Parts: sequence; structure tokens; C-alpha cells
Amino acid sequence: MSIAAFTKPVETKVGSTKVKLLREDLTALKVDAFVYYARENLDIGTGYGTAIQMRGGLEVKKELEKIGSIRMGECVITTAGMMNCEHIIHVCGPKFLEPDIEKKLRTCMENVLKTAKKNGLKTLALPPMGTGFYGVPLPVCVSVMIDTITQHIRGGTTLEEIIICVVDKRDFNAFKEKVANL
Amino acid sequence: MGKTRSYKAQKVVDLMKAKTKSRQIMLSLESCVKCGQCIDQCHYVLANPDDPTFAPPYKADKLRKFFKAHEDWTGKVIPWWVGARSIYTDEELEELKDVVFGKCTGCRRCSLVCPMGVDMATFNGMARNLLYSVGIMPEGVWAVAKDQWEIGNQMGVLKEDYLDTLEWMEEELQSKHNDPSIKIPIDKKGADIMYTINPREAKYDPRSIADAAEIFHFAGADWCMPSEGWDMTNFGLFVGDPSLGAAASSRLYTAAQELGVNKVVISECGHGYRSTKCEGPNWAKMDLDFPMESSVITMLDYIKQGKIKVDKSKNSEKVTYHDSCNFARSCGMTEEPREVLSLVCSDIQEMYPNRQWNYCCTGGGGAMSMSEYAPMRLKSAKIKAEQLRATGAKIVVTSCHNCVDGLTDLIKHYNLDMKVTQLVNLVANALVVPASKMPKVMKEVSMPLAGKKILVIDDEPDVRIFLTKIFKENGCEVFEAPDANQGMRIIRDKNPDLVSLDMILPHKTGEKLYWELRKDEKYKKLPVVIVSGYTKIDDPKIDFDAFLEDKGIPAPQGFVEKPIHPDVLIETISGVLLEKV
Repeated sequence: MSIAAFTKPVETKVGSTKVKLLREDLTALKVDAFVYYARENLDIGTGYGTAIQMRGGLEVKKELEKIGSIRMGECVITTAGMMNCEHIIHVCGPKFLEPDIEKKLRTCMENVLKTAKKNGLKTLALPPMGTGFYGVPLPVCVSVMIDTITQHIRGGTTLEEIIICVVDKRDFNAFKEKVANL
Repeated sequence: MGKTRSYKAQKVVDLMKAKTKSRQIMLSLESCVKCGQCIDQCHYVLANPDDPTFAPPYKADKLRKFFKAHEDWTGKVIPWWVGARSIYTDEELEELKDVVFGKCTGCRRCSLVCPMGVDMATFNGMARNLLYSVGIMPEGVWAVAKDQWEIGNQMGVLKEDYLDTLEWMEEELQSKHNDPSIKIPIDKKGADIMYTINPREAKYDPRSIADAAEIFHFAGADWCMPSEGWDMTNFGLFVGDPSLGAAASSRLYTAAQELGVNKVVISECGHGYRSTKCEGPNWAKMDLDFPMESSVITMLDYIKQGKIKVDKSKNSEKVTYHDSCNFARSCGMTEEPREVLSLVCSDIQEMYPNRQWNYCCTGGGGAMSMSEYAPMRLKSAKIKAEQLRATGAKIVVTSCHNCVDGLTDLIKHYNLDMKVTQLVNLVANALVVPASKMPKVMKEVSMPLAGKKILVIDDEPDVRIFLTKIFKENGCEVFEAPDANQGMRIIRDKNPDLVSLDMILPHKTGEKLYWELRKDEKYKKLPVVIVSGYTKIDDPKIDFDAFLEDKGIPAPQGFVEKPIHPDVLIETISGVLLEKV
């Protein structure tokens, strides 16, 4: 048993899509894809990037090198090397107090969900987008993620399950009520 | 027309205005009188006497001028007098970065002598946070902080690697003491102690984890390590970021609360101790119902209370002690480590200056992660190298993992004939294992097995090699046979004291050989231990019992199931042979 097992997941349904809040290891989940909050130059770097390189091997990095770079709000989908998931959606989001954080984050989320639909994904896991190291305020992140996920599902989706996967209780508590009341 | 300001510079100005400034920061911003007493306290200054940019007042003024331009009335009324000057460009922010990250380790030695009470480390931390908030920081800081946010520890050690390391260290300890009861318990609910470490231990120095586990085991402690929230370090302290400080410390506190432990023990790390014990509860804004202590205190208590016995003659090389800035100067832990040292080492040479006046290891404040400043760091380590060399010690002991790395690097750079270690390593090395805690096998059986002749009958070569190795390690003379017929020949020729018999053998089964032995007047009392690979579903003992009953012969003297655990095997064999003796 791990300590995360002390935190009971929160689950709800929007239409026929399950929305789940989980305190777990994002990059170890068995899902069709998880989302990685990328830099414009697609350099994987550390944090979740450490896990992608350690668990996935070099394949993801090589794919990203071929793609080169993306612009703010854009995303690309790659395979996931030897990881438990099938794909990784890399999205370039706002960082470090740059202007129009909320608007940019909304664009990111919409593009991520469109990419998931375009690729026929059924299960998708997302971190609390841009919070923590990149400094996106948690309330902004919660509001944008919940809004865009709800709108996306209502507009028709291939996704059967969307997981918001957090590292700690701070993030878990920020999403808990919102997810439960979807 | 006023100067235009870059977006980032404007954000830094806004943050400076918005930032909650503590009394200590305000005092540090307002009150420097340029008396210069701090200047020769800084190791950067001492190693670079011709460069005034290393002087604490110069470094502090980089931020102070900016503060005065925006926040202080003197900067508005008499800016030329107080040197008020704002920041306008990204280049100026980069210059500030080189000062606050590259030229100060936040060791606080200069603050000791300041008559005005300027706290350079807190002050510098605030400046670092202003830059970090707009994404201006050394690449190494970026890497480490992101790992701590997203992976949960500042070295990006994945959960499976951490758990594998603990398991590996547990096996090492079991093997060292020939005692399978030694454990590194993980997530033990209701344990008395939760032990937390620096991720450097899991990544580069697992020996320290094993040494701590050894001490806990022989002290009879009820302890565990958490599977999450185990990193007691906190890069929030180094980047002056209270939100990272809160996230990292609350993960540890949450683990302790969820496991319901009575106490958190923090392994030897200066900034980890300060962050977790002193700063963390404020950052996390959590009410904690458990105490936290340094492992130095835990070890000292174990020795004083007689829970562990130590023999200082086991650490006979000359040692010296290096006080970590955060552990000694910021947290006052100067005497406890020396007390432990005096109990486990026989030749101690004090370093001068020492305690709160000691010089920084030069790797503090996250400096080890900032490779771009390494040449400047190592040049400035000259003063520390001279201090170490003067002790004549062969070992420098420190209660800080950051210092271990900083000192190791400078020892290599300055070709010092020294190595770095920690108290936990010395205490573990000095441990005297009491007779009551010696493994049973070691005490009672190792001698009786010496010289015993054992025949191993097994058709699998790997199993024969494995069994032979175990028996030989216990002093036995061993013979091997791949089938029953060859086994019978060896029994007749060598007259073994015991037969280790597999049940499934080619040509003739182990069952049949056993029956033949029991029928033979000469061998009917020859001890036989069945070493079988059957699962419980088709447990040989069930069929074998029927076979024994059918043939009217007694049961063998012992059974050992495969996969074979060496301790179980030796205990069984020893039991049989001792009984016979």
C-alpha cells in the first residue's frame, strides 16, 4: 500500500464521460495518454520530464527532436516509449507570470482535448496545468481545467475517462469540490 | 520621458511592492550603515580580496538600491544620497541573478557580526524569489526545483527506484548480519518513528540509509520510512519560494499524519533540518501533532540510554568536524554532534574557527546545482581548503549532505588527503552487536556444522551449486550427486552425516531412494532432509506421508521448501545434526 492510498479518489460523470480526481503518479498511469506541460523548444527537462526519460527511454526525446518546437498554446502528440501509457500530449503553456495566463491556459486545454478527440483517445490524464514550478495560480488552473473539460465533453468526445492526477493534498483539495460537483 | 521597463523588470518591481515583507527583511533593507564589519567574514571575499563585488554590502546594495527607489521615502526625496536606482532591463535582472545565486551561499556568517542585524541569507532569498518568479534562475536551479515540485523530491528519484534501493539496503543488512529479521519497514501505520532522508542518499549514498537502518534495528526502534513524502530537503529555502517550501514540507507532514507516527526523525542534512523542523510548519501553515528531531539527537539518545553499544576504537583515524551553516549557525546544533563524535571516535581534532564561526563548505544555498558558477565556487573554497588542511585529519565529518558534496568537491580540487563522512556512518561502524541480538544460527550452529559431511542429491546443477555454497560457507564438507544412483554410491563411499534429497530425480525418485535407505540396516538412521520444489497445491508431504505409511517407514528428519532460503535451510540442517549429536 502506498501513502496515496489514504486519499480516496473523487469520481463523477459528465454525460457518459467519467471525470476522476486522483492523487497518484501521473507518469505511471495506464491511460491512452497523459499531458506534459512543455517548453516551446520541446526540451523534456526535469520534473515529469525526468519520469518520461527514465521510464520511457529515448524514443520520446527523438520524436520531439524531429518535431523541433511548438508555439504557445499548441500541442503535439507522441508515443510514450516504454511507459505504461500509449501516448503523451505535449502542450506549451504559460509560465512565470507571463501576460494573459488564463487565456493562454484555456487555449492549451482546448487544444489538448481536441488532440485527444482527433486521435480517438478514450482515457486521458492531466496534471494541474502549469501550477507549481511554472507558477500558474492554482485557482486559475482549477477554474480553466474544469470549464474546458466540461465544455469539451458537452460538445461531444471520444474520451470515456478524464483523470486529473495530482501529487499532493494541496492540489487534491483545490480540485476536490469542483470535480465532485460537476 | 522616463525610461521604459521590460516586462519582466516591471513584474519584479510589482512583486517587490506586493511582497509581504517581514520585519527581518525590512530591517535588512533599511539599516545597513556600511560599517564594513561583515566584509572579512565572507569566504568569497577572503578568497578574492581584490574584487569588491563579493563584499556583502555590495551584493546587498544591488537589491537595496532597487528597494529604495520604489519603497523607501529616502529614495524618493534624496535618491542621489541613498543610491536609489530602479531596474529596467532583462540584462540587469541577469546581473542580479549572478550576484544572488552565484556570489552568496546564504551561509549567514556575515550576519553574525552585523551591528544592525542585517540577515543576508533571508534578504538574498527574497531577491532570488523575485527572479525565480519571472523565470530567471540558473538552469540547475530550474531542474532541481521542477523535480521537487513534480516528482516529489529534488533529485527526481522515481518511486520504484527509491523502493528498490530500500529493499536492496535491507538485503545488504540481512546478509551482513546473517539475520533476516532486519527490516527497513515501509509505510508502517502507527510506527513510533518515521525516518526521512535527503534524496542524495537514495541516489548516490544508499550506505547512509543502511547505516541508519542498522542503528534503528539494534536500538529496537519501531520505525518506518514513508513511500511518499520522504524527502526532507526543500529547495523552497534556496529559491526563497514559500509556495515550494509549503508544498515540499506539507508532503512530508501529510505522510507523517497519514501513517500516524509519533515522531519524525530527519537524517543528517543542514538545510533539510532547518526547512523541515524550523521553517516548514510556517510555510505549510499546518498544525503538527508530532515532534521532529535530527537523527543526531536520536543517535545520541540511543547511545546515552544504552539502547545501542558503541566501541570508539573501531573509528581510530583522526577526524575533524565541519559545522554546517544551516545546522549549526541557523539552528544552533553545535554540541550534540560533537558529543556523538566523542562517543564513537578515538582521535578528534577540532577545526578552527568552529561552531557558528565555521566557514561554509562552499556548496550551500543550492550552489552545487549551479554548474556555471563552479569555477568561482571552487576558487572561493580556498579558505575552506586551508582550514581543513590545518586539522591534519584524514576524515572530515559533517551532519549535512550538501556539505558532503561541497567538501568532497573542494577536497578533490585542492588535492587534500581526506575523505568526507557523516555521523551515521561512524555510529554504525562503531556498533557493538550484543550477544542477545546475534543471529541464532551464528551463535548455536556455526561451530557444530563445521566439518560435517553433507551429500546434496539434486538433478538441477544450479541448485547443487547454490546448496553447496551455503553448506561450505557453514564449514561443511560437501558431496554432490545429480541422481539417486550416484547419490547411493557416494553414501557408501563417503559415509556422509546428512543427505539433502530432492524428490524429483531422473531414473529413480527421491522417494524410492529414501525407502531404500530406510530398509538398509546400515543407513536406516542416516539423517535425510527433503529439499523440495513442490507448491502447496501438490505438496509432496501429502503424497509422501501416504507413501511412508504405505511402506511403514519413519518420516525424514526435515523438509525445506524451494525456493530455498539459506537461513531456513541452515536452521533445519543444524537442528537435525544437533539433535543427532
